[in-house]
Amino acid sequence: MTRARSLRHRLVLGAAAWIVVALVAGALVITELFRGHLERQVYADLGHHLDQLIAGLEVGPDGTLGLARQLSDPRFRKPYSGLYWQVDGMQQGGILRSRSLWDDMLGLPPDEIERDQAHHHTLSGPADQSLLVLERTVTLPSAQAVRVAVAADAAQVEGVLTAFGRILAVSFAALGLGLLAAAGVQVVLALRPLNALRRRLAEVRDGRSARLAGDFPGEVQPLVDDLNALMEHDAALVERARVQAGNLAHGLKTPLAILANEADALDRKGAHEQAAVLREQVMRMQRMIDYQLAQARAAAAREVPGIRCRLGECVDGLRRALERLHAGRGLLIETDVPDALLFRGEREDCEEILGNLLDNACKWARSRVRLTADSEGDEVRVLIDDDGPGIDAAARAAAFERGRRMDEAVPGSGLGLAIVRDLVELYRGRIALADSPLGGLRVDLRLPAARATEPAVVKPQPARQGGGP
Amino acid sequence: MRVLLVEDEARLADQLADTLRGAGYAVDATRDGEEGWFLGDTEPYDAVVLDLGLPSLDGISILRKWRSAGRAMPVIILTARGAWSDKVTGLDAGADDYLAKPFQPEELLARLRALIRRSSGVATPEIACDGVVLDTKTAKVTVDGRPVMLTSHEFKVLSYLMHHKGRVVPRTELTEHVYAQDFDRDSNTIEVFIGRLRRKLGVDIIKTVRGLGYIVEEPG
Repeated sequence: MTRARSLRHRLVLGAAAWIVVALVAGALVITELFRGHLERQVYADLGHHLDQLIAGLEVGPDGTLGLARQLSDPRFRKPYSGLYWQVDGMQQGGILRSRSLWDDMLGLPPDEIERDQAHHHTLSGPADQSLLVLERTVTLPSAQAVRVAVAADAAQVEGVLTAFGRILAVSFAALGLGLLAAAGVQVVLALRPLNALRRRLAEVRDGRSARLAGDFPGEVQPLVDDLNALMEHDAALVERARVQAGNLAHGLKTPLAILANEADALDRKGAHEQAAVLREQVMRMQRMIDYQLAQARAAAAREVPGIRCRLGECVDGLRRALERLHAGRGLLIETDVPDALLFRGEREDCEEILGNLLDNACKWARSRVRLTADSEGDEVRVLIDDDGPGIDAAARAAAFERGRRMDEAVPGSGLGLAIVRDLVELYRGRIALADSPLGGLRVDLRLPAARATEPAVVKPQPARQGGGP
Repeated sequence: MRVLLVEDEARLADQLADTLRGAGYAVDATRDGEEGWFLGDTEPYDAVVLDLGLPSLDGISILRKWRSAGRAMPVIILTARGAWSDKVTGLDAGADDYLAKPFQPEELLARLRALIRRSSGVATPEIACDGVVLDTKTAKVTVDGRPVMLTSHEFKVLSYLMHHKGRVVPRTELTEHVYAQDFDRDSNTIEVFIGRLRRKLGVDIIKTVRGLGYIVEEPG
């Protein structure tokens, strides 16, 4: 069932997409937060340096700026160390720079901002460094305004961020895989009832069960209940149609019997032609009714799931019946049917098939009729032998052929094989005629078997209406 | 031979009764299940033709009641339901034969003859005794190959005696099996029939056992 698999795929893919999106977004947010945190730390450090720098500023008598004492951090003295300062006297006092700037200087953008407010920029600095700059414009006691800036290489932040990002990526990837696996497991677990449902449906389709058995989760159970209700409704419809077809067919039989008797009366009065026509038509109608009845029954039976019957019981009943019907002829009817053998179909049909064949064998047999049955794969093989005259090979096909043509219904034609053959075909079985080791005819019959291990299905027996007049 | 016919369809019942009477049977016909059961339970019939779908009491139940009460007369079931499953049910309930509607009247008569013969232990369709041959198929009697014309009642008397060859048949039993129920019975008329039969057959195969009844003796 590709649909169930695609449902699973869809769920897993959906989960994967959400996990990836959530983790990537999470990683970005965390990285940005961390970057902000790192930059705040850098700016805090720079703030200290700035304060120290401002505190050390002095103006010489000639108005030149100077630094009373070196800043404590040695990186200010190491060229391109990544930590710089600069004091811009704004035309008046010249520019002071940290030694680390060497012959470079910080290209502070010309911005107008409030005095004594620290603010920061990101600039490109010496040696292609990207710099985080903290700047403040202060007014010295000499009323001179100077721009004081401290800068740090952003690479230190990026370096930490890269290392952090790597760890984050690895751990988030691991987390993602874990979540994905969990989602997969969850999907499989969640869909397990659907798989069970699929198996139950297969059982129903194969005729091993009449309804979807078992308890399902609350989300699936309503579906299962609906399906069961649908199948029961279906079975009930089929059954009702069948009963109605049966009642119609049986209702017609008594009028036909009256017509047959009337034909006889006509015959006695000398109206032989009319009698013959009447008789022929009665036979034809009878055959049609029997045929359609059998069709309706077998077609219905094939659609009713879980139907089966015990072959041995059918055969026992038929043997009792035939021993009575052929009493006084001294016939020996032997049957050998294993108890466990099950025919996958309606009991009535099983009896109809075997009854006609056995009766036929009894009619032709001199003294012995034998029925043996056994299972062959998923079929039941039944052999019916008699010690009668048999049928030669050439005539065997004709025995079937005649049965097949409903409109040719010759009175007393054939071996009653018509209905049998139709039923066997409807059940997708096979029937063949051969020579019997007993000397007469052998009927070689194969019918669908039901397995003994499957739970039996009790078919509701509809009440027959009237039972025919 | 006396036959009970239980069939609820009026027209078919009339036709069958005619057919049976035409074949030389004394026929009691009823359309009601209860009445059918009662007749079969109390009257001595040589055979019963029983429809299955009946008002008040269905054929299978009637049959079961008869059999459990030890009524052993041959019963042929007549029904619209001709499937083997129905046959098995009917025969298991104690029927001896089964005829599905529609059927040819000759078919019913042939089956009935076979059943009656079987139940009285006669193996062939023709019963013979000292040159007198009764053909159950055609309901004709010949003496040394020469046909003898008999009335319906004469035939019934001879047929019953020959079916029960070698046994003394009391006059009352003979009366019961020759007349239908609603017939005004007079056992003296039996004597008249016996006398006529002896005259027509020309051979004295029917012996009177004084105080007991009549017997057709086994030859030899």
